[in-house]
Amino acid sequence: MKLRKNFLILTLCLLLSTGTVLAQPVTITFWHAMSGSRLGVLESIIEGFNATHPDFEVKPLFTGTYAETLTKYVAAYPSKTGPSIVQVYEVGTQTMIDSDAITPVYQIPGMLGETWDWAQYVIPITNYYSVDGNLWSMPFNSSTAMLYYNKDLFEAAGLDPNKPPTTWKEMEEYGEKFLASGVVDHVYSTGWPDWIFEQALAIHDHLYADNDNGRSGLAKKVVFNDDFGYMIFETWTRLHDKGIYIFGGAEYSANTAFNSGQIAMLIQSTSSLAGIIKAAEFKVGTSFYPRFEGYPVGNSIIGGGSLWVTKGQSEEELRGVWEFLKYLGQKDIAIQWHKGTGYFPVSGAALKTLLDEGWFSEDQAYLTAFLQILSGKRDTPASTGVRLGPFVAMREDLVSGLEKALAGELSPKDALNEAVEKMNLKLKDYLELYGK
Amino acid sequence: MTRKTRQEIFIHAILIILVIILAFPVFFALVTSTLSLQESYQYPPKLIPGDQFTNNLKEAWERINIGRLFFNSTLISTVVAIVKTILALLAAFAYTHFKFRGQGLLFSLCMITQMLPLPVRIIPTYQLMATFNWINSYYALMVPFFASTTGLLLFRQFYMTVPADLPDAARVDGASPMRYFLQILVPISRTNIAALFVIEFIFMWSQYLWPLIVTTTGEMRVIQIGIKMLLSSEQIAPEWNVIMAATVIAMLPPLVVLLVLRKSFVQGIAMQTTK
Amino acid sequence: MYEDKFPGHKFLPYLLIAPSIAVIFIFLIGPFGQSIYESFFVSTPFGTNTIYVGLRNYIRLFSSPDYLNSVAITFKFAAFVIIIGLSFSLAIAQLLNQKIRGMGFYQVALIWTYAISPTIAGVIWASMFAPATGLIPYIISILSGGYKMNWMINGQLALLIVSAAATWKMLGYNIIFFLAGLQNVPDEFLEAAQIDGAGPWKAFWRITFPMLSPTTSFLLFVNMLYAFFQVFGLIDIMTHGGPGNATELLVYKLYRDGFIHLNTGSASAQSFIIFFVISAVAIIQLRIVTRKAIYFR
Repeated sequence: MKLRKNFLILTLCLLLSTGTVLAQPVTITFWHAMSGSRLGVLESIIEGFNATHPDFEVKPLFTGTYAETLTKYVAAYPSKTGPSIVQVYEVGTQTMIDSDAITPVYQIPGMLGETWDWAQYVIPITNYYSVDGNLWSMPFNSSTAMLYYNKDLFEAAGLDPNKPPTTWKEMEEYGEKFLASGVVDHVYSTGWPDWIFEQALAIHDHLYADNDNGRSGLAKKVVFNDDFGYMIFETWTRLHDKGIYIFGGAEYSANTAFNSGQIAMLIQSTSSLAGIIKAAEFKVGTSFYPRFEGYPVGNSIIGGGSLWVTKGQSEEELRGVWEFLKYLGQKDIAIQWHKGTGYFPVSGAALKTLLDEGWFSEDQAYLTAFLQILSGKRDTPASTGVRLGPFVAMREDLVSGLEKALAGELSPKDALNEAVEKMNLKLKDYLELYGK
Repeated sequence: MTRKTRQEIFIHAILIILVIILAFPVFFALVTSTLSLQESYQYPPKLIPGDQFTNNLKEAWERINIGRLFFNSTLISTVVAIVKTILALLAAFAYTHFKFRGQGLLFSLCMITQMLPLPVRIIPTYQLMATFNWINSYYALMVPFFASTTGLLLFRQFYMTVPADLPDAARVDGASPMRYFLQILVPISRTNIAALFVIEFIFMWSQYLWPLIVTTTGEMRVIQIGIKMLLSSEQIAPEWNVIMAATVIAMLPPLVVLLVLRKSFVQGIAMQTTK
Repeated sequence: MYEDKFPGHKFLPYLLIAPSIAVIFIFLIGPFGQSIYESFFVSTPFGTNTIYVGLRNYIRLFSSPDYLNSVAITFKFAAFVIIIGLSFSLAIAQLLNQKIRGMGFYQVALIWTYAISPTIAGVIWASMFAPATGLIPYIISILSGGYKMNWMINGQLALLIVSAAATWKMLGYNIIFFLAGLQNVPDEFLEAAQIDGAGPWKAFWRITFPMLSPTTSFLLFVNMLYAFFQVFGLIDIMTHGGPGNATELLVYKLYRDGFIHLNTGSASAQSFIIFFVISAVAIIQLRIVTRKAIYFR
């Protein structure tokens, strides 16, 4: 009798412990490049997911800059020691598409026997990461470029703080007034000049590269070395020579100058908004990216990063990945992400809720970014953004060219042409490796 | 005042000025590490220390887990320095006390590897780490560094100055080579061992490129990369006060090693240059 | 080399050198060989395609203004670090070589920069020279009546600052070795020169400097290796190779092309070229020193 009882208890214990073992959450590793305040928001979102999805555990890992994250991902690939999900910058999109290392996200619901409504996401955002209308990576941290300006300095220079410049001509006029008033030594700067250049093209529905901006096939050459492209370079060089435009360096250092009131305007990513509002001790205004009058209307383009899913995962892992991606796109989470970082919420419903609850009327600044992408075109390749394989290296060539023009080493036209030559060579090489 | 005294004072003056100029950057770092964020951005900048060092250090601790990084750096620097020394001692012993086939060739080979610093073979070495599945492990951080040409040269040079009677006497006494090595050669190499330890410890502590590409997680990073992480953070400008707090901590171990073993270090080098 | 001090132990020497040789072959020579091999190909980052291109990677590099720019910058940088660094260190070592009280203190107080890593040197100098808010630009703007020192828009300045930071870090090391070398110059020689009526300047060039040549050539070699290879951390922290390509040393360009642009073929070719350059310089140096030494004797 006693033996049997013990045996029963033992079996029960074994079953229970096996049950616990079976209930071990499936680990989903997630490599990302979010640092600073964004990291905190990301971690709290992930904690929320893990708490509400006990079958899965997302383990985030900060792997450095976007470039470093991608490098590590590439290196981990041969030994299959990479993560389930990786965040890649938008310029790495073509590389990831051609990599043969990922599962496009549009295929995942089908693989799991589910269906999904992709239209619930904001279209200009998903357009960037789509191939032939299918979404390959999950948009996560999307931003665009807009104009920031210092309302206090505007007043000090005798300008109306509620009428920021809307065209490049006005940028020049306002610039001259600023310099004349002596309120600042330089009037505006920009972040990422290469990206700002891409914006200038897209805003006017001008293609960057052939093959529909690299969307209907691998791009063979860039196509902005025409009068319009020269005009952009020439305008910026002229503004630089007049002292209106100060070149702040390839990444974010222009923000410091703006925050400390040394310049009056800043053309920068919308994702800088939260940081700028926090650091600035003046009234911050925002407006659309300036236009060249008389040219077609396109749209500002999406920058930032998206989430890619590694190929060859087990069904359990894939399910976990998919649950996580769905979670991120949920209205409340998308709102949480937006409010904490300034990135666009990818969920259309989130956008609507934000509008309804008056989030934007509290501070017009946040609304500008949305209005810009929602009011522009969304169905032309030029307004959707360009996809290039060797994008990173090509961007460096463009910045190099701009620097040479600004330094007066070459005329703007020659500088642009020189950059274009280098860029086309890189496209040629990429085609050699990937062309079919 | 005699001419000599005037000369002495002059030299003292110059030396003191030099010491100050040389030390200024570190002084600047020390001061910055004690300031609050606003103070560190004051313009015009001020050079008076504040009281925020512990706070800044705490910030750095939380952001990049400085304790762990410090441990990693200390571990790999110490282990590699020790292993390198041992391997160099053994190899130098072999090259100077024995005659064997291929000796000259193998030695030249070791010397040529001085020309093969990491950048010259970085991608395949990295791929090798991936193949061994050592990425993000202590093995990757340490093993590729185990061979030291500096050490080999140092000890070989030194052993060549050891009087011939020493090993001869040992052999006559019936001692095995290893006994001779362990009981006689190694003890008299003490100064050189200390000197090599300093060199290799500092070298490993300063490693940047290799740990950058070979470690991916916060737990495995070294302190040099931790500092970079602090810098490459923000959309906002670098928070120098926190960065400097981390920097100050990161500076200490190699300095301590150098200062503690200074005498041996200098002596070991002096021995090198006496031909 | 020595003679066989322990005859009869045939295998022991091989055992003794085995671990070192193993490490050298597996982690140094092997990968180097592979690097040379990979330099003749172009391949996709994920390995989906590899194409043999012969010498194209090399030809592209040599006809690329960016690469040639990198070569020039590296040589300028190395020249600064070596010439300025060694001159300063030698001068300081001379000063330290006096029989004056407190020399021990001064020695310690001047060699410690050796223990500072290039990365840390970079961080500190970057903060000192930070454009809008740094200490040095502030001082310069006061002294020069408003000049805004901004290395982010001035490539030459950036290169200068980076070179200065790198040189500063190596001063300690150079001083130790020079001091050791100086202390090997027998006093009698210098005294004899003094008696002969030679001034200190002449005595230095005719006697001290030649006797220092082993130390000098050693330091030349070490500083060259340093300037070419060990300053990566400094560049990455301070300038990322910018502004533009103004501080893109060869080793940094290699990293950029290999790890950011994911262009392994070109990076491998660059690896080999650096190796070739270093070896050539080292061999030339060796020749010159040996010849000089012969003359001297």
